[in-house]
Amino acid sequence: MEAQWLRIRRQKRVQTVTIVVLIAALVVWSAVQTKFHVLTVFGGLGEMGKLIVNDFLPPHPEALKGLIEPALDTIYMSVVGMVVGSLISAVLAFFAAATTTPHRIVLVLVRGFASVLRNIPGLIWALMLAFAYGIGTLVGTLAIIIYSVGSLVRAYAEILEEIDQSQLEAVKATGATFPQVLGQAVLPQFIPGFVAWSLYKLELNIRASTIVGMVGGGGLGFYIQNGLKLFHFRDVSMAIILMLVLIVVTEFFTNKIREKVI
Amino acid sequence: MAAILQVERLSKKYSDGTAALSDVSFELEPGEFAAVIGLSGAGKSTLLRCINRLVEPTGGDVSFGGVRSAKASAHEVRLLRRQMGMIFQGYNLIQRVSVLRNVLHGRLGYVGPVRGALGLFSKQDVEEAKSILKRLGLEQQTYKRADELSGGQQQRVGIARALCQRPKLILADEPIASLDPVTAKIIMDNLHRICREDGIACIVNLHQVEVAKTYATRIIGMRKGKMVFDGRPEDLTDRMISHIYGESPDKE
Repeated sequence: MEAQWLRIRRQKRVQTVTIVVLIAALVVWSAVQTKFHVLTVFGGLGEMGKLIVNDFLPPHPEALKGLIEPALDTIYMSVVGMVVGSLISAVLAFFAAATTTPHRIVLVLVRGFASVLRNIPGLIWALMLAFAYGIGTLVGTLAIIIYSVGSLVRAYAEILEEIDQSQLEAVKATGATFPQVLGQAVLPQFIPGFVAWSLYKLELNIRASTIVGMVGGGGLGFYIQNGLKLFHFRDVSMAIILMLVLIVVTEFFTNKIREKVI
Repeated sequence: MAAILQVERLSKKYSDGTAALSDVSFELEPGEFAAVIGLSGAGKSTLLRCINRLVEPTGGDVSFGGVRSAKASAHEVRLLRRQMGMIFQGYNLIQRVSVLRNVLHGRLGYVGPVRGALGLFSKQDVEEAKSILKRLGLEQQTYKRADELSGGQQQRVGIARALCQRPKLILADEPIASLDPVTAKIIMDNLHRICREDGIACIVNLHQVEVAKTYATRIIGMRKGKMVFDGRPEDLTDRMISHIYGESPDKE
């Protein structure tokens, strides 16, 4: 008994040491491959600081006038992306959740489809869409919708898989049809998670629309990209500040709504 | 009187090989209040769920109101289900919606699929649901969310939902197993009174022999998926109780 206990402990210790060594080796190897060096990092910090202090500060308040429209575009893209994306995803999620799907094959197909959308970054979607539609908010909106659908289908499907089956059983026992069970037993359990995830997606979309905008999606991102190219750094810093304000305000409001719903 | 429910050699074998129910047969007459007793895992829950086809039986047949369920279509199964109310150990109310809506779910089998899915119930149905809630002393709770209620109140809503189906039969699966003795008595009193007043037949799964003896007109004893006793409460001897609960000296 005692000997066995000791052996297990020794095994555990060997395991721990092996894992630590492996991680350390991985870190060193990656650092060498990427030429990551602590000294270069600090060296770069000085340059970065100089750039910010000399070129970016103080921000240009006059730039605000020209920023209103791009900021509104960013908001439009994010909101439309969230609303359209969450509606499409909600429908797809019913086919992607083990509890509600009509067939296993449908589940695998829908999940695979969502996974492809999700695993190609929004930036790449925007680049490809810009080829097809030219530069503008349409590209940004489409890229955001595609990327939203990819991640929301999975999130919603997981909500649907976690709902309380016994509540469904009770409604089924009354002689209800499948659509009735969906409407009266699944939906009430789905709504809170649906709202929470959709609002979180809105926050993410504001951030993502900036990035997507930089490659031709319009909005604040496009403005920032242009400003950088033309060395209008003080305008750019004003745009970055506005973007931060937008994100904080969105977070504040989505939190308020979330508290109300849940 | 003609039996409303005939259970014939009903069996259920789960895919992992456990025989949850083997060859159970009995008939139930209108207005009977039958208690099914037995250990956990004796097949009581499976029996009830095979009757309303929440669980698909692997053998035997159930005939209810003259309709045989073994070969029934999905539509016919729903027609059978809407005439049988079911009450659960965990109450199984939709937690996030109002008490009234939960009771109205009892009408789902009677309204059109679209109206039902959207929850558009007729004024008449709403009035009936309200009067049922009143009958169970829950009129104060009508518009509260189900998850705001105590366990005993939730189970009364469960009874109200079953009643809203205007059932000929109520299947109650351990309705008091999660409740304290005082609340349990209130629930059993309500269930018993309503079934008697409305002439509804009832099958109740119970853990407690004493409770079964107090209310039931008939007791069915289950052991390892088989029916080992079927008779009047007075005929349930201590020896038989030990046999049902597996304490008999002649071990199997």
